[in-house]
Amino acid sequence: MNFEELQKAWQSQGHGPQLALDANLLLKEVRRNKWHFEVMLFWRDTREVGVAAGLTVLFLFWGIRDRVWSLNWLALACLWVGSFMLVDRWRQRRKQPVTNDPLRSCIEASLIQVNHQIWLLKNVFWWYLLPLATGAGVFIISLAWEIPIEVRVSRGELVGFLLGSYALVCGLSFWLVYWLNQLAVRKHLEPRRQELESLLAGLDQ
Amino acid sequence: MNTEEQEAIFRRWLNDHLRLMLKLVRASAATPEDQDDLFQEVLVNVWSSIRAFRGEAKETTWIYRVAFNTTMAWRRGEWRRRKGHERFLKLDTSPQAQPSHVDSPPEREIVERLYAAIRQLPKVDASLALMHLDGLSYQEMAEVLGISENYIGVKLNRIRKQLADQLKGANDEL
Repeated sequence: MNFEELQKAWQSQGHGPQLALDANLLLKEVRRNKWHFEVMLFWRDTREVGVAAGLTVLFLFWGIRDRVWSLNWLALACLWVGSFMLVDRWRQRRKQPVTNDPLRSCIEASLIQVNHQIWLLKNVFWWYLLPLATGAGVFIISLAWEIPIEVRVSRGELVGFLLGSYALVCGLSFWLVYWLNQLAVRKHLEPRRQELESLLAGLDQ
Repeated sequence: MNTEEQEAIFRRWLNDHLRLMLKLVRASAATPEDQDDLFQEVLVNVWSSIRAFRGEAKETTWIYRVAFNTTMAWRRGEWRRRKGHERFLKLDTSPQAQPSHVDSPPEREIVERLYAAIRQLPKVDASLALMHLDGLSYQEMAEVLGISENYIGVKLNRIRKQLADQLKGANDEL
């Protein structure tokens, strides 16, 4: 059998699978799935940015009401994280791969997106953990400085105790966040990047 | 474009190009569950792409692009993990379920072996093999993939050889 005969056999196949297609139901489901996907994205963004925005307002409110200036640092850190995520999402959404583009363009766009995601997670310490840790650290120090103390404990001991506790809790929780992010990079994003690069190489070979 | 127009185009494409979409899905996923998942993902992306369709590309070229881009990004079991998803299509892709369009059992067997062979190819090569078998021109293939026509010829020679190796026994020559 030569290629033309093979081609003929290929082209002569019908729908293949037996299927009863209800176009109305299908259309309804396609719309519903699309809507579900968009809702999922919306809530993911709202959750992440919303939490940061909510905390910013809360810390600002407490800071002004109770005249605790150090809470402003915490509010500032939350504002920075929320704004960073918002701007980043907005910028990346504009660069999203378009499924009706040629395959090469779509793979290139996906690769840019995956690389950016890897960059974000690899640098999570700088844009997420460090600002929050700094804001929380300033708040803890000021708290230790201003808190009324009993005679038995010196101010230095209190500051040392609070800072030590803070460093321990903060260090452990931030290390966990950092580790989870790096795990996601290793487990999901790096393999995806390799896959996309090999697809791109497949187009070039 | 309003929703009614989008819906009308979707229905027409479904009617005209369902066979094409199913072939691409079957060539990209082996199990019926995966094929069902992928098919639904392709449909969602085809639906979403309609608003961007201006008629500059041929409908088939457009659908090939959407379907290939979807298969490249598709992850096994992704749809099944999503909540609230209701199956609207049950695909029975077993050889027994083949209708009589494929004339004889030997031809049916060849087509099944072809699907299996295509699934063994690297994804880009599989895309080219599918378009080649469907009889697309080099220019159309280049438009779908976004590579130059010169590459296509070279690649197709290699793919034909690979397919020949995998179908050895069923065919004397390709």
